[in-house]
Amino acid sequence: MNDPAVVLAGVSKIFSTGTAALAATDLSIAEGSFTSVVGPSGCGKSTLLRLIAGLTPPTSGRIARAATATPLATGFVFQEATLMPWATTAENIALPLRLASVADAEVAARVSDAVARVGLGGFAAAYPRELSGGMKMRVSIARAIVNGPRLLLMDEPFAALDEFTRFKLNDDLLELWQRNRWTILFVTHSIREAVFLSERVVVMSPRPGRIVADLAVDLPPQRDAALRLGHAFADQCARVTSALGDAFLTQAAS
Amino acid sequence: MTRIAQALLPAAFGALVLTLWELAVRLNEIPPYILPGPLTIMAALWESGPELLQALSVTLEVTIAALILAAVTGAGIALLLAQSKLAEQTLFPYAVFLQVTPIVTVAPFVIIWVNNVFIVLLILAWMAAVFPIISNTLLGLKSADPNLKDLFRLYGASRGQTVLRLLAPSALPYFLGGLRISGGLALIGTVVAEMVAGTSGARSGLASRLLEASYRLELARALACFALLSAAGFILYIALDVLSRRLLRHWHESARPVESI
Repeated sequence: MNDPAVVLAGVSKIFSTGTAALAATDLSIAEGSFTSVVGPSGCGKSTLLRLIAGLTPPTSGRIARAATATPLATGFVFQEATLMPWATTAENIALPLRLASVADAEVAARVSDAVARVGLGGFAAAYPRELSGGMKMRVSIARAIVNGPRLLLMDEPFAALDEFTRFKLNDDLLELWQRNRWTILFVTHSIREAVFLSERVVVMSPRPGRIVADLAVDLPPQRDAALRLGHAFADQCARVTSALGDAFLTQAAS
Repeated sequence: MTRIAQALLPAAFGALVLTLWELAVRLNEIPPYILPGPLTIMAALWESGPELLQALSVTLEVTIAALILAAVTGAGIALLLAQSKLAEQTLFPYAVFLQVTPIVTVAPFVIIWVNNVFIVLLILAWMAAVFPIISNTLLGLKSADPNLKDLFRLYGASRGQTVLRLLAPSALPYFLGGLRISGGLALIGTVVAEMVAGTSGARSGLASRLLEASYRLELARALACFALLSAAGFILYIALDVLSRRLLRHWHESARPVESI
């Protein structure tokens, strides 16, 4: 296993409203790994990402980040595309570079590279309202990768999309990851999506969020769309489903 | 409905009302010092056109100066208030005072303290116009997408970058909405200020001319002044609406091109 990019030691989060979002949690994310976090709504998945991104401080515990996982080397993708409606595709993607005062020529080169990588060719001058939901999400991903981050935090990025678009984006994301080997932490409430994409699935229980299972996905590293049809894939989904089921039973009993 | 029909409909309605007015005046033989007909008013407008237009330009000079001043200071004050909850809580009530105080009651003091008529009118018109810009812009500054704010923090954006690239564009549609309201208010403010300040002579505005004419029972001339002021206010509104649409046409729902229905 590679060196960890992020290590959480006893990290918990209680909001100022008194809501306990995350119980003391230990988690180590290996450099270059693709990890998914699954769990029902309100299990603190988003809070976990925001803590790792440094957008909110932990109530207790500490977070150690490798040099490749500092907030400035992190790309964040939200559930909604979260684009600036007044800016074109190219200017939205350029945002991290603009904020870092990168020179115009380099911005142009890096943006056109990111546009090509997420398959947005021909839409650089379009405004967000002219794009479909799937296209907007591609812009959002391009923005997250444009400044060459090593850590990608993705908070249910495909939840609002239809199944066809979601499958296509899953395939494309997987291909991008296999080529670039970012460290990806991917939050989703879709078990199938988690199993298809990741090497490791972390299962969380609801409020306060706790990690109740940590499963290695036993599928070949080279994956393609055909994998979704096989028995091996169904078996892995069943393992995660049963771990989630156990989590709910434990919670109901306590 | 075609665009031509959309423009013709209100014009036809106006023509109908004016015709009925003219007929009512003629059939009842109402004397022009009580109620002149539209034709008499148009004649008065034609007769003293250059003089009235010159007076209108004096009024519009104040109006536009006050509107620009209100836009700049209003946006600035809103930005200041948006910096902290404490600043807003401390200062916003005073902005409300500015709004609810009738400028007629402030005018006498301003006239005593300031001895330049243009500045007096400017201050009073500014007072009438600035509040919608402050309150709308403040609302806009506070309604920036929280996820985008997080993104700016993640990428280490400076305060200046956040204002310029996130807060200002988020507030722009709200600011422009305020500006459209303030355009009319600046004109109303100027007219009221002219009447209260009692400006006179060659450099007096259209509102003073209206008042003079009505004192002399030259109702046709007074109504001609009134028609010019209304038209100016209408054109000002249209101009600000066009400006708003142009600035927002690519992205804001309010400026979405109208589909044929």
